[in-house]
Amino acid sequence: MTRPDLDEHLAEIQAGDPDAFGRWIAAAEPTLRETLRSFAAVVDTEAVLQEALLRVWQVAPRFVRDGEPNGLFRLAVRIARNLAVSERRRRAREDVEAEPEGPSAPLVVMAPVDPLLRRRIEECRDALPTKPGAALRARLGADGVEPDELLAERLSMRVNTFLQNITRARRLLAECLEGRGVDLAQELP
Amino acid sequence: MTPAVPPDETLLEAVTSAFRDTDPRGGLRSHPAWYDLDEDGRREAFERVTRARRLEVALDPDGLSTTGRAVLARIRRSAP
Repeated sequence: MTRPDLDEHLAEIQAGDPDAFGRWIAAAEPTLRETLRSFAAVVDTEAVLQEALLRVWQVAPRFVRDGEPNGLFRLAVRIARNLAVSERRRRAREDVEAEPEGPSAPLVVMAPVDPLLRRRIEECRDALPTKPGAALRARLGADGVEPDELLAERLSMRVNTFLQNITRARRLLAECLEGRGVDLAQELP
Repeated sequence: MTPAVPPDETLLEAVTSAFRDTDPRGGLRSHPAWYDLDEDGRREAFERVTRARRLEVALDPDGLSTTGRAVLARIRRSAP
């Protein structure tokens, strides 16, 4: 694990380069998600995280560095947590929950995935039975822009069957990797 | 003491999707299945999403998860 300064992407992001923002997201997402852990029971952290990333993109052109590293990331943490608090307050009007707590984690960027590990995962994915394999591929290939209902329909599956196939695919993938001596929890902590 | 009921697997898998619909103001909505989980189920969903995204990153040539790709797709769609 390394601790780089993600502001190295800032000039390109401020120039409106989505690819540069993609590189920033790839590095920032795991820690940013982790800062929302304490809200997991009270807000949909996936929605909050995506909304936060969209807002970071929107405010980035006006962002001014403070001389410390990872300024945009620190701003992203504040945006994400503020969004989570707002969402929790909005929901609290419906059902009051305990106040989540927890400091934001320091930025930790995972080392690039070992090409050999990637190949093993791909081999196990490609060895999945037809239906679980198709469901998992559809989910990953949709890049989060299409709902499961549409993906299931395309595969001529009921939504529940589609979801059961993805769950089965994940289990079979983990078993396949274990059989090849790969512990995903250890390799992708 | 009543034993905890394990969360519905299909609800958990549904929440693992990175797809989130938008509300009329353009904000992202929580996944409908997320509302059907109890607090333990929501915490379990968080763990599963985290694990799923790690796997996606491992398989993606650009190291992006479906979360990152969903955000970039929205940005590119809204570009002038």
